[in-house]
Amino acid sequence: MSDHVRRAASADARGPIARSPIAPAPPVAAVAGWEVSARRSDADLTVTDLTPLAKVQVKAPWDGALAGTLGGPFGRAERSASFEDAEGDDEDVLVVGSGPGEWLALGSPGTAPDLVERLERLAARLPNPEFVTVVDLTHGRALIRIAGERTPDLLAKVCGIDLGETVTPNGAAFRSSVARLAVDVVRYDRDGTRSYLLHCERSSGQYLFDALLDAGGEFGAEIDGFVEPGLS
Amino acid sequence: MILLPCPWCGPRNVAEFGYVGEAGPRPDPASAGPEEWRGYLYGRANPCGWVAESWYHRMGCRRYISVERHTLSNEVRPLATEGAGR
Repeated sequence: MSDHVRRAASADARGPIARSPIAPAPPVAAVAGWEVSARRSDADLTVTDLTPLAKVQVKAPWDGALAGTLGGPFGRAERSASFEDAEGDDEDVLVVGSGPGEWLALGSPGTAPDLVERLERLAARLPNPEFVTVVDLTHGRALIRIAGERTPDLLAKVCGIDLGETVTPNGAAFRSSVARLAVDVVRYDRDGTRSYLLHCERSSGQYLFDALLDAGGEFGAEIDGFVEPGLS
Repeated sequence: MILLPCPWCGPRNVAEFGYVGEAGPRPDPASAGPEEWRGYLYGRANPCGWVAESWYHRMGCRRYISVERHTLSNEVRPLATEGAGR
């Protein structure tokens, strides 16, 4: 066991430590059962590993009843009202319309089982039954956030999509080639600052992270560690 | 660069797609003979001119689309799309 893993394990003795496919930049800490980077950066352009977030994929007819209930139509990402708790508080779930008849629900770390249950309940309550699949992808995918005003310049080096305000405004979602990988891209601005979420296969996570850091080198991109709840 | 008109995602670089092949009607399994099946599976017209093709948008919506492409100029125009509902 390496030193940084031992430190992470001792910091959170509640259970086994889950690891992102992206090696955490030191110092390393344990947050919500995940080994994450505790590095803090105030650079203008930051790259953050958000893999600990709960990631649940939903597939259903693109024009069915669940599509209307879920929110987040194809090409858009929205916080869904379907996930408010009994008091009506926002449960911090982002529903991304990642494909025709395909959605990605992103929630706080450790909430995946609850999210799956809620989605299954939502599907079961439909007046006319539809063929729906709900799969927890949390440990099978990587999620990266890039934030800063120069993020369009960074992305333009590795992605061919028009990142202008008219084509991809805040909340836009699309799947395209990013650094020659199939990546779900979501524009998710933070406090008025440009920010994008990039979601890819777990096995490609480290490569994509390195490719983004490399492409952002000329803009001063730095690693920023994970801070709960992840999606602020 | 060739841009293919995906009915779901809009015009995208051809590098995002997988080439499936010339599109044509599938023979009726109940009545087609071996020669007809062989022609359907392996025979290609490969004309110099417009040809109907299927492409798979593997880095996008993951749907199959049909387009017409001019094999000399690589000009592309949309064709009726399989499975797309809009």
